[in-house]
Amino acid sequence: MKQTFLRYSPILLLTLAWEAAARLGLGAAFDLPPPSAVLVAWIGLLRDGDLVTNGAASLYRGAAGLGLAIVIGAVLGIVMAWWRPVRVALEPLVEIFYPLPKSALIPVTALWLGFGDGSKILLIFLGCMLPVTLGAFNGARASDRTLVWSARSMGAGRVRMLWDVVVPSALPELLNGIRTALALAFILLVSAELIVSQRGFGNLIGILGDNGSYDAMFAVVLTVAFLGFAADRVYQVLTARVLAWRE
Amino acid sequence: MARVGAPLRAFAGVLASWAVLILLLVGWELVARSGFVTAYMLPPFTDVVARIFHDATDGNLAESAALTLYRALTGFAIAAAGGTALGLAMSRNGGVRWFFDPLISVGFPMPKIAFLPIIVLWLGFYDVSKISMVVFDAIFPVVTATLAGLAGVERELIWSARNLGARDRELLWQVMLPAALPQIMTGLQVALPIALIVAVIAEMKMSGYGIGAAMMTASRFADSRGVFAGIVEIAVIGYVLVKGMALLRRRLLAWHAEASNQ
Amino acid sequence: MDAQAPIVIDAVSHTYRPPRGRSVLALDDVSLEVHPREFVALLGPSGCGKSTLLYLIGGFLPVERGRILVDGSPVAGPGPDRGIVFQHFALFPWKTVRANVLYGLERAGLPRGEREARAQSFIDLVGLSGFEDAYPSHLSGGMKQRAAIARTLAVDPKTLLMDEPFGALDAQTRSLMQGELLAIWRRTPKTVIFVTHDVQEAVYLSDRVAVMSARPGRIKTIIDTRFDKSDPHCFKTKTFIDKVDEIWDLVRVEAMKAQEARA
Repeated sequence: MKQTFLRYSPILLLTLAWEAAARLGLGAAFDLPPPSAVLVAWIGLLRDGDLVTNGAASLYRGAAGLGLAIVIGAVLGIVMAWWRPVRVALEPLVEIFYPLPKSALIPVTALWLGFGDGSKILLIFLGCMLPVTLGAFNGARASDRTLVWSARSMGAGRVRMLWDVVVPSALPELLNGIRTALALAFILLVSAELIVSQRGFGNLIGILGDNGSYDAMFAVVLTVAFLGFAADRVYQVLTARVLAWRE
Repeated sequence: MARVGAPLRAFAGVLASWAVLILLLVGWELVARSGFVTAYMLPPFTDVVARIFHDATDGNLAESAALTLYRALTGFAIAAAGGTALGLAMSRNGGVRWFFDPLISVGFPMPKIAFLPIIVLWLGFYDVSKISMVVFDAIFPVVTATLAGLAGVERELIWSARNLGARDRELLWQVMLPAALPQIMTGLQVALPIALIVAVIAEMKMSGYGIGAAMMTASRFADSRGVFAGIVEIAVIGYVLVKGMALLRRRLLAWHAEASNQ
Repeated sequence: MDAQAPIVIDAVSHTYRPPRGRSVLALDDVSLEVHPREFVALLGPSGCGKSTLLYLIGGFLPVERGRILVDGSPVAGPGPDRGIVFQHFALFPWKTVRANVLYGLERAGLPRGEREARAQSFIDLVGLSGFEDAYPSHLSGGMKQRAAIARTLAVDPKTLLMDEPFGALDAQTRSLMQGELLAIWRRTPKTVIFVTHDVQEAVYLSDRVAVMSARPGRIKTIIDTRFDKSDPHCFKTKTFIDKVDEIWDLVRVEAMKAQEARA
């Protein structure tokens, strides 16, 4: 407990410095609302429901897009690793599309599906699938042949072996790919909402900024940042539990 | 397949990649011209190429690409230099580490792009704010990788160097940094695509030319050829940068075991 | 015991084709017969193709030239009649010791109760009682190999293929495990084909030692190593030392050839 406090004390110090700077007049000069005002604004947003409705819209889009990306990406990666024709067909495509800066898809998905939920879900799905695919693919390809052989020599058929050996072998890299996808999902979601959207966290940030209610804007920005951080921490705890056998 | 000689197989692999790419483009063209989708949803590939060619001849393409690259690469360079320096400082000085460690570990997983409106608020709409956004996003993987790389240097290596008479400065430049280089390069390889992604987003949000801004303008005027031209351009830029970085890595790490099994 | 046909390896050649680089003739016209319940060691310098031969018998690699008969019919793929133990254990790292040992029994379709009892008896046999719920990453090298041996024996294969099973263990553990393997084998004799590059180990464990030549792998000689090994100190006896010396002289030539080939 004391150690955690000591470890994170620089963040507390920065917050205090921020409060002091804002109160000492720097706030007006630089449009910097003090943290206390941001907190008040945050409670206000929470009360009148703006934060919850927009947050729910954002989280729904993110979860749907990421969920699709994980399921389809993982299956694709494992099939690519263990079925040669699929690998020959898809490996070049993965290689071409993987380095594509995913944000370039924002106008295209808006072109196709408009400014609503559909375009965000498609954007996150397309943007997040390849890291998952690549993780599953690399993990599955690297499965130790002696493990595969052991399973086969104990009577496992090909499909059984795929499920019993290749999938668990691919798990560490697959989970790593999903972590990348999780971070990407937040980036794509927020930026798409900032640029083209009705509703959502990003949209709310934009509206508050345009209205000049900077303390409320700061509150939403920090909320989104915190959610991204918290999602990653929770995900890490979960993966550590799933991969407990590694140590 | 197993009976074919190795060079022939490598050649067949390259051929297959090209075949798949060509098939993709032909498929695009056919679907676009089939009438199943409107030209608004998916303009034919040849039209998009014509548009790119048009932009290239009147100088628009060169200008947008140069601006996007300038913003992404300047930000990347600052993040690379600053991130390595900060990582180094953190690994050598307890105070620096105490202060920055929580900021880095909390900041890394945050979607920093959410701060874009704040950066605009403070720094305005021009290149300074775009480049700052890129630096802010790209620096985290570099610092983390540098720290991990330096922490992973084998102590036998350090002891051997000390034993052979290396002083502090020499130890740093001739032992620590080279030994950490594989990890630092990995960090840079993560940071470069982030720099490009963020530069494009910043351009889309704030306009002011660049490929991202051009795509956004095209989208606003329902000019789907312009949007797809932007996708192709940015895809090529992304591909070249990522490949270039991989090449650089192989050059710099020729001594490393990974180079021999490439 | 049912009457069993010998394992017949008949004029087998094998070419190894790495994904990049030149093809290598790993085995050249190898013939060998292994009798039921016999313990045969394949001995040779590294890279002589002895493991490749084992993988061919296991059905993990396809037999391209020549033929291998197990129980009278040609090998078509891996099967539970031929259990294998690898140098690096090949335990499923995401399964506990018990789950590892249970794996083959589940594939064999044994009822649950029988499975559990059988798994436990083999875990006890190799001396891992108390470690049933440990993951492989928590075990020492020797314990991992005990678990792998229990897993393979539990399926009750007629033939045991062992690929340098003690090669990754420290010297003390290795000699301990050799003694235990011999004790288990005496109690439940199986056909064992044991790959090693350790001459003492080959002489101590096996009935016959097939000495292989450096690349391309051929069987150079087969030496009978059957004599009384019930005494734990038998490796101090003259018979033992003479056998080791005799085989060492054969192997040394091949090991030097192998070194020159690499240089």
